[in-house]
Amino acid sequence: MSDRRIGVYICHCGGNISDYVDVEAVRQAVEVEPGVVVAKTAMFTCSDATQQEMIEDIREQNLDGLVVASCSPKLHLFTFREVAKRAGLNPYRYTQVNVREQCSWTHTDDRAGATEKAVRLVRAGVARTALTEPLEPIVIDTVPKVLVVGAGIAGLRAAIGLADLGISVLLAEKSAAPGGWVAGFNKMYPHDRTGRLLIKQLVDKVKRRENITLFTDAELVAKSGSIGNFQVKIRVNGQKTEEISTNVGSIIVATGFDGYHPRDGEYGYGIDGVVTLPEYKEILDNAGDKMLFNGKEIKNVVYIYCVGSRQQTGENPHRYCSRYCCNAGVHAAVESAEKDPQVNQYHLFRDMRTYGKFELLYGRAREKGSVFLKFDDNEPPVVEKGPDGRLKVTVKDLLTYGEQVEIPADVVVLVTGMMPRENSALVDILKLPVGRDGFFNEIHPKLRPVETVVDGVFICGACQGPKNSAESVASALAAVTQSASILKKGFVELEPLIAVIDPKKCKLCDVCSKSCPYSAIEQEHYQGKTVARVNEAVCKGCGGCAPLCPDNAIDLKGYTDAQMESMIDAMLKEIG
Amino acid sequence: MNYDVLVVGSGIGGMESALKLGDMGYKVLVVEKEPSVGGKMILLSKVFPTLDCASCISTPKMAATTHHPNIDVLVYSEVEQIKRGQDGQFIVKVRKKPTFINQTLCTGCRQCEMTCNVAVPDQYNSDMVARRAAFIAFPQAVPKKAVIERAGTSPCSFTCPAGIKAHGYVALVRSGKYKEAFDLILETTPVIGSLGRACYAPCEGECTRGDLEGSLPIRKLKRFVADTRYRENAGPDGKPVAAPSGKKVAVVGSGPAGLTAAMHLARKGHRVKIFEAAARPGGMLRLAIPSYRLPKDVVDRDIRNVTDLGVEIQTGVRVENPAALKDKGFDAVFLATGTAGTRRLRVAGEDLAGVVSALDFLRDVNLDKEISFKDKTVVVIGGGNVAIDSARVAVRLGAQKVIVQYRRSRDEMPAHDWEIAGAEQEGVEFRYLSAPQKFIGKNGKLTEIECVKMELGKPDSSGRRKPVPVKGSAYRMPADVVITAVGLTPDTGCLAGTLELNQNGTIAANPETMQTSVPYIFAGGDVVSGPSMIVNAVGQGKRAAFFIDRYLNGEDLAGVAFEEKLPVVDKQTVINRQQSYRNLAPVPGREILKPGVSDFTEVEPPLTEEEARYSAGRCLDCGVCSECHQCIAACPADAIDMSMREETREVEVSSVIVSTGFKLFDAHLKPRYGYGKFKNVITGMEMDRLLAPTRPYNTVLRPYDGKVPDNIAFVLCTGSRDCTVDNPLCSRVCCMYSVKHNQLIMGALPLADVTVYYIDIRAFSKGYEEFYRQAGAMGANFVKGRVAKIDEKADGNLILHYEDIDNGGQLQKAEHDLVVLATGLLPNTEVFKLFSGEKLAADDFSYVKEVDEDINPGQTSIDGVFVAGTASGAKDIPDSILHAGSAAAQAAAYVERIRMSK
Repeated sequence: MSDRRIGVYICHCGGNISDYVDVEAVRQAVEVEPGVVVAKTAMFTCSDATQQEMIEDIREQNLDGLVVASCSPKLHLFTFREVAKRAGLNPYRYTQVNVREQCSWTHTDDRAGATEKAVRLVRAGVARTALTEPLEPIVIDTVPKVLVVGAGIAGLRAAIGLADLGISVLLAEKSAAPGGWVAGFNKMYPHDRTGRLLIKQLVDKVKRRENITLFTDAELVAKSGSIGNFQVKIRVNGQKTEEISTNVGSIIVATGFDGYHPRDGEYGYGIDGVVTLPEYKEILDNAGDKMLFNGKEIKNVVYIYCVGSRQQTGENPHRYCSRYCCNAGVHAAVESAEKDPQVNQYHLFRDMRTYGKFELLYGRAREKGSVFLKFDDNEPPVVEKGPDGRLKVTVKDLLTYGEQVEIPADVVVLVTGMMPRENSALVDILKLPVGRDGFFNEIHPKLRPVETVVDGVFICGACQGPKNSAESVASALAAVTQSASILKKGFVELEPLIAVIDPKKCKLCDVCSKSCPYSAIEQEHYQGKTVARVNEAVCKGCGGCAPLCPDNAIDLKGYTDAQMESMIDAMLKEIG
Repeated sequence: MNYDVLVVGSGIGGMESALKLGDMGYKVLVVEKEPSVGGKMILLSKVFPTLDCASCISTPKMAATTHHPNIDVLVYSEVEQIKRGQDGQFIVKVRKKPTFINQTLCTGCRQCEMTCNVAVPDQYNSDMVARRAAFIAFPQAVPKKAVIERAGTSPCSFTCPAGIKAHGYVALVRSGKYKEAFDLILETTPVIGSLGRACYAPCEGECTRGDLEGSLPIRKLKRFVADTRYRENAGPDGKPVAAPSGKKVAVVGSGPAGLTAAMHLARKGHRVKIFEAAARPGGMLRLAIPSYRLPKDVVDRDIRNVTDLGVEIQTGVRVENPAALKDKGFDAVFLATGTAGTRRLRVAGEDLAGVVSALDFLRDVNLDKEISFKDKTVVVIGGGNVAIDSARVAVRLGAQKVIVQYRRSRDEMPAHDWEIAGAEQEGVEFRYLSAPQKFIGKNGKLTEIECVKMELGKPDSSGRRKPVPVKGSAYRMPADVVITAVGLTPDTGCLAGTLELNQNGTIAANPETMQTSVPYIFAGGDVVSGPSMIVNAVGQGKRAAFFIDRYLNGEDLAGVAFEEKLPVVDKQTVINRQQSYRNLAPVPGREILKPGVSDFTEVEPPLTEEEARYSAGRCLDCGVCSECHQCIAACPADAIDMSMREETREVEVSSVIVSTGFKLFDAHLKPRYGYGKFKNVITGMEMDRLLAPTRPYNTVLRPYDGKVPDNIAFVLCTGSRDCTVDNPLCSRVCCMYSVKHNQLIMGALPLADVTVYYIDIRAFSKGYEEFYRQAGAMGANFVKGRVAKIDEKADGNLILHYEDIDNGGQLQKAEHDLVVLATGLLPNTEVFKLFSGEKLAADDFSYVKEVDEDINPGQTSIDGVFVAGTASGAKDIPDSILHAGSAAAQAAAYVERIRMSK
């Protein structure tokens, strides 16, 4: 028998769980588990009312353990730990049992089976909880300084945003000058402001701020430590290379994107007159009163959209939409028409994604004479050089009922998308998570949109996914608030669920330190011998070392061997 | 209270801004107009492209916002005004709407909701189902506290001079809670059966249904309630009385005012004794109203509601000197002696035998004196209700001929129309524009009346045209009996020395407190107001009791509000709440009237239970809450407080974030799609509700017939990219929420076909293109082509006319059994009204203008004011969240700048 006093709450999750799991049956099955003194069900355990009920139960029933069987701990682990804390129960005596993602949603065809599985999972949760110890978070003082990697528009704005809040910034730019892509732009949509001027404005501000240090030709080469106190090493290449080591509380990654570079022959790329959108924008920027290509006046322009985006076939296709290009394409057309109202412009598109207020740009392009032709995904336009030496684009236009149209062109503009920037060195150093599309991944696009799985390392701008300039700036400022909320507090609390080595048992075979992906295992002297020791601030609690130790000297707090064994026993117990 | 930042609106953008600011250590005030934080996102099913439950994403943020140590949240509150003060700070006026439930005491148990008898469209379920007037917004509401929606006082209840909660008992009858209805009326007055028969029912005149097919029979419903209760329960019915106060009150007169006052005083624990001059109690109820209108056993039963409380009634006692009652140990006196006197005609021969006053005549009949008018001609003189009553009684006493003589015309007759009509049908004759000059008799006994014809001259002081005798028009009319009914007067001559009287003989009493010139003597009813209606007397009795109780407790009388009602609801507003109403004809009134009727059987038949329920069901719930008071009894926490009123408070903040969100496009504005007309055409938000975990039907059903749809169409760009509705903008989210619906429907209804009619699929953000592809791979059919119009078939299915662009551009028709209009987003322009002094600039489409979007997204035209989320333009949730972070960063920077400058 257990002398524990555990409360168990099983969630309906509206119907997400209860549609497939007999929640009441689970409750009845676990009610009689040793140590369980409260067993209840609730429509939404995460709702404020149920949280209040739990708090009352914990206080009134003197509970010393809490189990909620609901969704993934990714969603609500912290919610319920917070509940425990508010009720005066050590939050590490809480166990979240995932009966949604790992049970109801996966067994929608088998109510009885799902219910049985849920019973076993909750029993295991109760068993784990019965062996929990109160733990205290590891408190680390934070360094009120942020490393911003990349001084494009996002990085620059983030640096200023942090400085505004009294946080020092180290801004490291790989190239020789700050400003990134935007520094090269002339007029940008939708406000027709000049990219160069925007960057100049921001760089001037950065230079005026005493608490921002900008390094160009600089790269992050090493990182250690953890959230609140990272040790970073930056190599600055110049006339002579120097390395700067410093401590920062958090890191914001704003490394931007690469432009898509068409393959040779892709929509005629390589033929004289077939250019990418950035190349065409350069032509526009340099045009005086006439738009010229190779000295010849441009009278006919054909735009082909989704080049390097929304590709479903081929090797390593870019399946994603690059978001900015439709808007940029129609903006270029408006600009062209303003330079030469007589210019003929043809846009070959799949879907025009001039979302939100950018629809107005699309409208303006049409008013100024642009013609839009929709092609089928499976029948892309063909760009050739005709016998007359002129470019010729052939396309089947769905908007005129599949009519085959031949368009002579002086310039064919391939509206190219964004690509994830090649940055493997940085990915290695920061252990940045990379998504399927090759861009850096946030933890959750809505709950934690600028955070990565590496605590204290944030992402913003187009390194996270295609964004236009203003959107990159918004996300940069969001990253500022995320950083500042940690650093302005002065300390962070880290999970105490980490490995601990029993020095008495350790024989320093070094198996553990070789297995540690975080280099968290150090050495210390203990009663005349050298033993392995876990650096609390660095250990992530992945548990990789624990099973490898030949002497069983390593235990993972919160998931001790004893807990794991009791959970397994509980899961295998006969269902009554 | 001062804050660093005010956040207006607690949708996802507002919550995100507040949380980020709170986490950074700034003090934040969030003001939300709904009773829960969460905005529109919490109402969604799942959210794209991750298909997370909207609840799962929202609830942690909602809980975190409300529990955050640096954030205060005011829900059910509205920002009235934001104005910059002298020192650059913003002065913010916040109006806290009354919830009528003490939010500290409320436990969210929903007992009030379960017991509430009013159902109104549930705005949190797109009006597809009903919610109660007492309600918790939705299951995941934070805070999970109930509120009572009160739009004001319903016109019926507002107009009742007695303050009877007419709407309340109607709502209770609708729910079949007859006893509760009875008890509710009993809270005001004991004379329920009497009012149910003889009230002139001003409530019915105000009934909003009256502007449609006809008023509710509110009076008859009261009679139904009383009859049902009296039939089922012999009594006693009294509410438990308070502990004895040790005080004694004398009530003089046992009419409606006296009885009502006695009941209220007895409930307060005072010992009450009623003195009645007549042989039996009831005042005018018993003595004046004929029993074919009000049977006397009903009056008896009504009186028992008072005597059951321990009130003693002594009949046959005429109190000449109320002041003397003080010496007999009464601490207070309530005079409610009515108008027992009759005005004389001042016509020669008035003392002849055969000439009687109406009141004497009716009293004699009502006290069962044997009277027969067999073969007699009876002339009733007067045009009021008493005259008509007398005439109709005369018919029943066997008179050969009954004539009502009135000096004006029918239009000016003060009697109720229905009474005159009833009299006519029973054979009473009317002589209009005729007046007696002289009563002529033989042997002291009346034989003839000398009359003169009248004509109407100039209006007199009463506004009615004054009758003037026509010269030379005198004529004689034979008569055996004359009943004079030309007015009642209070019989207060004996009081002249004790109390201050008015010129017309009524007692002068303070109209607020009913106190007379002698502090311990209060007066009410007709003796104060002059001849009036029962329900007015009831009102004065209740009012007097309230102040007598205060007087007895030694409390102040002056300046104390008695029965403060919320303002009356505007009827047109009520009618405008719904596009249309089902035609519900009133139950026809059908009194049993026959010429020469000779018995006193009640003429008005009761409503059957079915008729009563049907009639009550016609109520439009004008005030929303009916004040039926059931929740007050049901609430285990005693948290209901109907006296709560709105409060305005002022706070000072350094910076403001407006995150007031968006409005959904009203699909009615696109009539060619038939929304509102074709039941199976719904909006995207409605589909989200149908799919949400807290969905109204627990499955996806089409509204027309509850059928599970199996061929669903989505019409994209409804109200977006559409100059015909003045919105050329793209709404950014509709493509993706439709794609989300596609996937959820294919999960919920695996056999259903899903077709999406689109212009461009705008799957532009991270993971969206993949999400769109996934819907296609799951079987959603994407058809490029805008839908031109929708027709409805007899079976409720819909025919969509569209241009099939992918296949040669032919005009095509397709049949679907449910159509979802992917309605777009529009600006919420209310935000611009908040600012005073400085103008918050709007962009060309009435969104909040971002003045420097390239560098400072979220910065507005007012220094220190920022915008977060969709208030500045349509955005999806991830973009709103990032935008909110941006607003928070700038608001924080602004606050820092302010601090530095100080």
